[in-house]
Amino acid sequence: MSTRTSVRSSLWLGLLAVPAVAFFLVFSYAPMAGLVVAFKEFDISKGLFGSPWNGLDNFRYFFASGDAQRILLNTIVLNVLFLAATLAAGVTLAIMLNEIRGRFFKRAAQSTIFFPYFVSPVVIAIMLQVLLSGPAGDGGVVNDALAGFGLPTVSWYTEPGPWPWILTFVKIWQLGGYMSVIFLAAITSIPEDVYEAGQIDGASRAQMALRITLPLLKPTAAVLLVLGVGRIFYGDFGTIYAIVGDNGTLFPTTDVIDTYVFRSLRQIGDFGTTAAIGLFQSVVGFVLVSTAVLIQRRYSKETSLL
Amino acid sequence: MTTATSTTSSLAKAAGRTAAKRRTGGWEPFTVVSVIGVALFMLICLIPFWVILSGSFTDEQTLAGKGYSLIPQPFSTAAYKLIFTGPTLVSAYVASIFITVVGTVLALSITSGLSWVIARRLPYVSRPLAIFAYIPMLFAGGLVPLYLLVTQYLKLQNSYFAVILPLLVAPFLVFIQVSAFRQLPEEILDSARVDGAGEMQIFFRIGLPLSKPILAVVGLFYAVHYWNEWFTALLFMSDIHKYPLPLLLQNLISNVTFSQMLPTAAEQSTPVYQLRLALTVVTIGPILLAYPFAQRYFVKGITLGATKG
Repeated sequence: MSTRTSVRSSLWLGLLAVPAVAFFLVFSYAPMAGLVVAFKEFDISKGLFGSPWNGLDNFRYFFASGDAQRILLNTIVLNVLFLAATLAAGVTLAIMLNEIRGRFFKRAAQSTIFFPYFVSPVVIAIMLQVLLSGPAGDGGVVNDALAGFGLPTVSWYTEPGPWPWILTFVKIWQLGGYMSVIFLAAITSIPEDVYEAGQIDGASRAQMALRITLPLLKPTAAVLLVLGVGRIFYGDFGTIYAIVGDNGTLFPTTDVIDTYVFRSLRQIGDFGTTAAIGLFQSVVGFVLVSTAVLIQRRYSKETSLL
Repeated sequence: MTTATSTTSSLAKAAGRTAAKRRTGGWEPFTVVSVIGVALFMLICLIPFWVILSGSFTDEQTLAGKGYSLIPQPFSTAAYKLIFTGPTLVSAYVASIFITVVGTVLALSITSGLSWVIARRLPYVSRPLAIFAYIPMLFAGGLVPLYLLVTQYLKLQNSYFAVILPLLVAPFLVFIQVSAFRQLPEEILDSARVDGAGEMQIFFRIGLPLSKPILAVVGLFYAVHYWNEWFTALLFMSDIHKYPLPLLLQNLISNVTFSQMLPTAAEQSTPVYQLRLALTVVTIGPILLAYPFAQRYFVKGITLGATKG
């Protein structure tokens, strides 16, 4: 095949990518340009480009509002909790699943714990209501259980204190099975003779799990950790907003950048300030993600995750 | 000499095998702990579903008075009757099905086209395209520009396409598909070229049919995503008759009045909580039904995405 025909045929084949390129231009790249709104006093009637510039006023307004500190702290604390908890749950579940010999039970278990990953955050929010508040607002399965043991019941939806832990529990429920699939795949790729050697040395199964499997899962966990840290500034909007919604009593512990941005867009309609926060989030997020990708490229070529 | 060593080694092997058998056959404490641990987590995963299912069949008065129980008593299907006669609930189902079917077909076609071009390593084309698709994973414009784009420039409010279009190509799935396309044996494509097939023909007649498993993986991911999507709907839909199921459900959580969603005759004694649970069941239902068939594809997709890149 001559170079000329190959160039021509490659351009021809390139047509297949045109719709996707159009998509990225409109829905990914145009919004990046649209971020100039962060430096403008936006007025819908004048449009994006007609609105007057106002320098850094939008950023000043956000950082002076007193909300900045709270939502930044919440974003970081919650995401660190989520990341640590889901990784730990994934590793633990994968190691435990690996112990199970009955094929039927193993498959049933895997299917069951993986399923919550496919459940909409809205459905999770309803489940939490059932568990924590019930029809009357102060009931719920958990309170019924507490009352059964003679303990005082809790009005969960008016107590911000326990919510970081409740949300972490939700995350484990939602992602524990998903993470375990990844780790179980890593375990299956560990060569069998490592375990045979351990067996000859008389290691118990617990010792093999702790001394062989766990250390060999480190690279996978490290990659997931690095990538997770990179995404810390993009808190999981869906889950938190579906559960907390506009329940202001819970904001002190649950309000994160994403929910804050969404609320100010919907309720206050202040495009400039909201875009400023969004730009701040994008820039910090970009720095974190790129650093994460660089670290991951450098240290774990063989387990290169996306 | 050789026979002697081989016999001893096979003897050793046999001994090792029985030892291994004893080890795996017996129940070490750690195995017992693992089985219990996994079983407990399974229970934790299942209980919320069961409570909702049983609650959706429990009479509203009982639900309010005695709370939730594991077995519905007295049994009542009132909520389901309402769902399937209420106009808004039917229209929500229609909206969700439209968004899922049209969205998945469009997304899968567009993603496949892009992935194929990247996977073929064409000079001057593939690499720039891969970078072009990768950048949005690193840097995003965020909510406000997207909102302005869809509402001010594309004017898609209250259109199903406001939900479909912003999620059309997921870069993560592009890279899964690229790595799958690259595993197709080059010889098959070459032999087609020798037979005089054009590049387009090769894609449609050979590439796609040989990649059915990965198409299933990617398609299923898109389908679940679209079925569960409520955030873009929340942003861009204001007409309650166009709400997809999850958004309708979200509205029920935040206690918006139900009068618009129900047949007028039923208004006096609306089983609000029961209805909420029944609607949840109806929302999870299709995923639950498809799940046994789809699950192995999902596992395959995640492991593919996790090991390749």
